[in-house]
Amino acid sequence: MSDLDRAIAQLRSCRPIPEAQVREICHKARELLIEEGNVVTVAAPVTICGDIHGQFHDLMELFRVGGDVPDTNYLFMGDFVDRGFYSLETFLLLLCLKVRYPDRMTLIRGNHESRQITTVYGFYDECIRKYGSANVWRYCCDVFDYLALGAIVLGASNTLSTSTEPIDEDTEIEVCDQSGTVMSRFPRPMQRPNSAEGQARSPNGGGGGSGDRTGPPGSGASGSSGGSIGNPTGAVLCVHGGLSPLIDTVDKIRLIDRKQEVPHEGAMCDLLWSDPDEIDGWGLSPRGAGFLFGADIVKIFNHRNDLSLIARAHQLVMEGFKEMFDASIVTVWSAPNYCYRCGNVAAVLELSEDESGTGLFARSNGDVGRSDGGRGVMMEGETFVRNGPARRYRVFQAAPQDSRGMPAKKPVADYFL
Amino acid sequence: MNPPDKSAPAIPNLLSLRGSRGGARGGRSRGGPGAGPSRRTGQGHDAVIQGTDTDAAVSRLSAVDLGYLHDPCAQFFVQSPSGPPARRLPIINRGTYTRTSGLDRLIDAFLSTLDAESPKQIVALGAGTDTRPFRIFSQQNCHGLIYHEIDFEVVCSKKLRIVKGAPLLSRVLSDASVVPPADPEEASNSWTSEPSNGGQFYCHGLDLRKLPGNEESLTLPGLRTDIPTLLLSECCLCYLSPQEANGVISFFTTQIPSLATVIYEPIRPNDPFGQVMVSNLAARHIRMPTLDVYREAKDQVDRLSKAGFEVVRHMTVEDIWNSWVTQEEKERVDSLEGLDEVEEWQLLAAHYIIVWGYRGDGFSGLAEE
Repeated sequence: MSDLDRAIAQLRSCRPIPEAQVREICHKARELLIEEGNVVTVAAPVTICGDIHGQFHDLMELFRVGGDVPDTNYLFMGDFVDRGFYSLETFLLLLCLKVRYPDRMTLIRGNHESRQITTVYGFYDECIRKYGSANVWRYCCDVFDYLALGAIVLGASNTLSTSTEPIDEDTEIEVCDQSGTVMSRFPRPMQRPNSAEGQARSPNGGGGGSGDRTGPPGSGASGSSGGSIGNPTGAVLCVHGGLSPLIDTVDKIRLIDRKQEVPHEGAMCDLLWSDPDEIDGWGLSPRGAGFLFGADIVKIFNHRNDLSLIARAHQLVMEGFKEMFDASIVTVWSAPNYCYRCGNVAAVLELSEDESGTGLFARSNGDVGRSDGGRGVMMEGETFVRNGPARRYRVFQAAPQDSRGMPAKKPVADYFL
Repeated sequence: MNPPDKSAPAIPNLLSLRGSRGGARGGRSRGGPGAGPSRRTGQGHDAVIQGTDTDAAVSRLSAVDLGYLHDPCAQFFVQSPSGPPARRLPIINRGTYTRTSGLDRLIDAFLSTLDAESPKQIVALGAGTDTRPFRIFSQQNCHGLIYHEIDFEVVCSKKLRIVKGAPLLSRVLSDASVVPPADPEEASNSWTSEPSNGGQFYCHGLDLRKLPGNEESLTLPGLRTDIPTLLLSECCLCYLSPQEANGVISFFTTQIPSLATVIYEPIRPNDPFGQVMVSNLAARHIRMPTLDVYREAKDQVDRLSKAGFEVVRHMTVEDIWNSWVTQEEKERVDSLEGLDEVEEWQLLAAHYIIVWGYRGDGFSGLAEE
């Protein structure tokens, strides 16, 4: 057993590894990450995960539900640290797995992978508590600076791979519970968007909650991803927060000098901080960083970049995932009972492989210089939309308390008393 | 008591760090031994409930130190034996700010018509270490105000010691002294002060559960039944059984014709966030029996209507942030720390409500809210 495998085994049991070994692993990780572009290309099949926030035991539950590494190809969209009690073990385990299985593990940066945010929201304190000095925190922050800003998933199929039960070819969305039992399926609509039928069949998206700020009822699977079965799908862009008014093509993301602390403004900041919202165009973010962006922005961006979907994290959604804007963007949230307080479930998104192989060749992707060919902005009323990939959401709950055997510190969540 | 050490806050200010990279950081682990309230030292649920007051005092001081609230008295009610006092996360600070400003607004509205000729009375239940009387009596024109606090005897006598030991406090609540007992054989459980700006302050060491049904036999020194009175419960009645809580309210409704009440407490125990809240508080041995009965805003409204209040209104803490906090104040508050907990804030703030009602005369100020 190599040192790395030993470290992985130790971290899997939620025990920190020695400082010298952290240093070594962070160094190796940086050598790997420095070779990655700002936008990593990932081939389907892949399981896309949202925020983890140091909830180590829930990450173990995620691996149980989604499959272990390296059997499952994972893409984590950032916010590994802060808020939970085990940011250190969480991030180091993911990092060790990245070093051990670089082709089966993709990590992109979240807004919490930052020196400033981690000093406020817990990771810094945790490192001091567990090591008595800030060295480990510094090693980790140096790795944060090298994490990619996004990923492009290619070759996702528009039909789902068979899981436990046979599945119709025209199933666009399947929602499973944590034991893999299918909870619901939604067929791919054969009609154009905005039909009443399309609007009615939403797997998620609030189902009509009136206080729902980020999406109207029926925003889920409805509409535009319709198309004939058998075509390859457009690519899926994965990013922690969302879009930026300074970024109109994926190639512009590739041009950012990312190897730095997350700035307070600008394109890199926006990618990690922005949120979709029910507005037209761009709006000010209540977070004080990044922007809000509306359906029109997403549709134009996806069209211009041959994307069928944007997958992002960053916002707590009680149901674990939430599709918006005619399924042109989805929020995936993977921290169940967030902060040991919120009572939400979590989800991961599985995209299966297009076995015809055409998906990978449908577009040239991934290189600087690729452009939209001067096609310009999508015109009003234009209905051409890329065929969306079939999506399987695995929804799961917080790991049972008694599974947290080890340092059984009972989390204390603050309330107003 | 040492004033808070501002040079080494446990949670560094997000915004003040902007632009500074690397360098020494004076961080220390938050909520370590001694930093949090000690909840397990006393016996039983009463001690646990008294601990919630410590929790609230720590939250208040955190909000004051960071500039959310102005309250020079808050520091005297938090003991910090080791290092600087605990800092709360931005979401909790914003909540403390919003709750306090919401209650202040209602109380200010009630007091807006105060003068020596038309006196008014406030009765604060389970006031604990609340600093509101210091803030109110620091203002001018308190001549017509009678302010009562009721809490456990141990809490009240501790408050007296703190007031006497801090010049800043004893300048406001001056000449604090024990009220002579009605029966010379018994020990007195009340103390009083004649504030330097006028009016009268009383602090009664009394288990609230003794009030129900004892309207005839139990008299609170200084309590008047003939003037407009506001009954305030800031996260207090929720710790009693529904019967006890109703009994406490009717202790006052049966005696005081012109009565208003303002109640602040959690709601919505049944949705996923609420279920976790109930279970997390239970793990800290905190039970809120009335929460099972007054689950939604409408239950709280019915509660006050049934108690005889003719006009009843309510707002959640989220509503108060959205509608009562001015844009200017929102910008000021948001600039203090930066808040990256937007969805969590909406969840948390939607689970606390202020419900208020009144009947009789003397509430023209409240009628406008």
